[in-house]
Amino acid sequence: MALAYQSAAVGLVEGPALHIPDGFVSVPVALVGYVLTAGAIALAVRMTNRQLDERAVPLMGVTAAFIFAAQMMNFPVAGGTSGHLLGGALAAILLGPWAAIIVMTAVVGLQALLFQDGGLLAMGVNILNMGVITALVGYAVHEALGPVARSSTTGAALAGFAAAWLSVEAAAIATSAQLWLSGTSAPGVVFPAMVGVHALIGIGEGLITAAALAFVRSTRPDLLRLARPAMN
Amino acid sequence: MTLAAVFVEHYRHAESVLHRADARVKLPTAVLYILAISLARPGAWLTLGFLAVPIAAGIGLSRLPVTGVLGRSMLALPFVLAAVPIAFTTPGTPLVVVPLVGWDVSDAGLVRLGSILVESWLSVLVGVLLTSTTPPSELLRGLRALRLPRLLVATVFFTYRYLHVVGAEGARMITARDLRSAEWPGQRSGGSIRWRARVVGHMAGSLFTRSMDRGERIYAAMQARGYDGEPRFLANPPLRTLEVVAAGALLTFAVALHLVERL
Repeated sequence: MALAYQSAAVGLVEGPALHIPDGFVSVPVALVGYVLTAGAIALAVRMTNRQLDERAVPLMGVTAAFIFAAQMMNFPVAGGTSGHLLGGALAAILLGPWAAIIVMTAVVGLQALLFQDGGLLAMGVNILNMGVITALVGYAVHEALGPVARSSTTGAALAGFAAAWLSVEAAAIATSAQLWLSGTSAPGVVFPAMVGVHALIGIGEGLITAAALAFVRSTRPDLLRLARPAMN
Repeated sequence: MTLAAVFVEHYRHAESVLHRADARVKLPTAVLYILAISLARPGAWLTLGFLAVPIAAGIGLSRLPVTGVLGRSMLALPFVLAAVPIAFTTPGTPLVVVPLVGWDVSDAGLVRLGSILVESWLSVLVGVLLTSTTPPSELLRGLRALRLPRLLVATVFFTYRYLHVVGAEGARMITARDLRSAEWPGQRSGGSIRWRARVVGHMAGSLFTRSMDRGERIYAAMQARGYDGEPRFLANPPLRTLEVVAAGALLTFAVALHLVERL
């Protein structure tokens, strides 16, 4: 079993880590996932319409295309594995949580619909894990660390890293819980395995997110204000 | 992952009934059929067998190469590892004991694992049939029939429209990085993992600022053409009765199978 999970870990680091295919989540879990996701999207659509008005569609569409492209930028870590971005926390810090939920919904939805990365019935839970949870957790952590982020460059990097790392861990915990509740995985196995693997994946996510934020902050600080339209 | 691996669309052109069918019928039918597959109880092999019949017929009707469809259905294979431990942890009569470590595979665990694998494989096949016979633009049009918020659907259309533009820009940046990262046999290029992650982070940040600039230009161009924030779509052609009836019959068949199984 340990061996099986070791190879699962390699597959997870390289591949679409959290995209659950159909058949692995039970019908009740899938339906609850759809209901929660639909609620989050409905709220996000309302908030986004209020904040971004008619710029919303082109802005979020291009950002979603950006997240797609950023996810393929990887770097070698060790032993043939590579790290790459999921992007939920980055999108939330750059655009605010509501626009980020729409953006990540477009990304995860298109991945399932066009590239079969993740199932159709499982799309609700997949959007919930990779779009809604990463955006909300990433944004909340970054906001909570606001004073640290504003104190210095190192502080900003730490806040970005923490937000991204925790967002990935939260998504991994949610995925594990769904697999457990679906009767697909035993809790004693899936929680340590997923949380452990994503503790490592999260480091890559955190480092890339912090560096991306530092780059935007130093070259185009005006873009960071998109997340706080009230201050414009 | 290379650009090709990420952005390969599954659509394969052919002349068939399934290719001609309206995405507004195909997409909901596929999702509901996958729901029907997932509703099968562990060990309901007969139900799963009957549910597989229309899928096999669909592959035949689609005129897609069977080997191609089967090859693509292996997509979800890596995820199987997440389910394997269930064979050991489900209580039941022990069947086989793994030597050295002493874990035992129970009969109930094996049935459970087998059901998960079969249900997942059949669902993936339905997905393959859908994505192989429906062009992406049609699939997105199918989304509109599901009455999703217009803002979301418009964003998804936009994402698809710029996926390849921004993707190609990202791919150029990756090529540029690779060109600057020459390797000598036995000597690794680049610095520490932290340094490499920072390079990727700066690439992502730079791609973000470029994407925002592009977004501004696109918005200005849309405004110049009279865009007022309200997404507009072409009117849909009317649904063909035969397709709706066929989809209804298929779903009735699935429901009937479940009723028979539970009686």
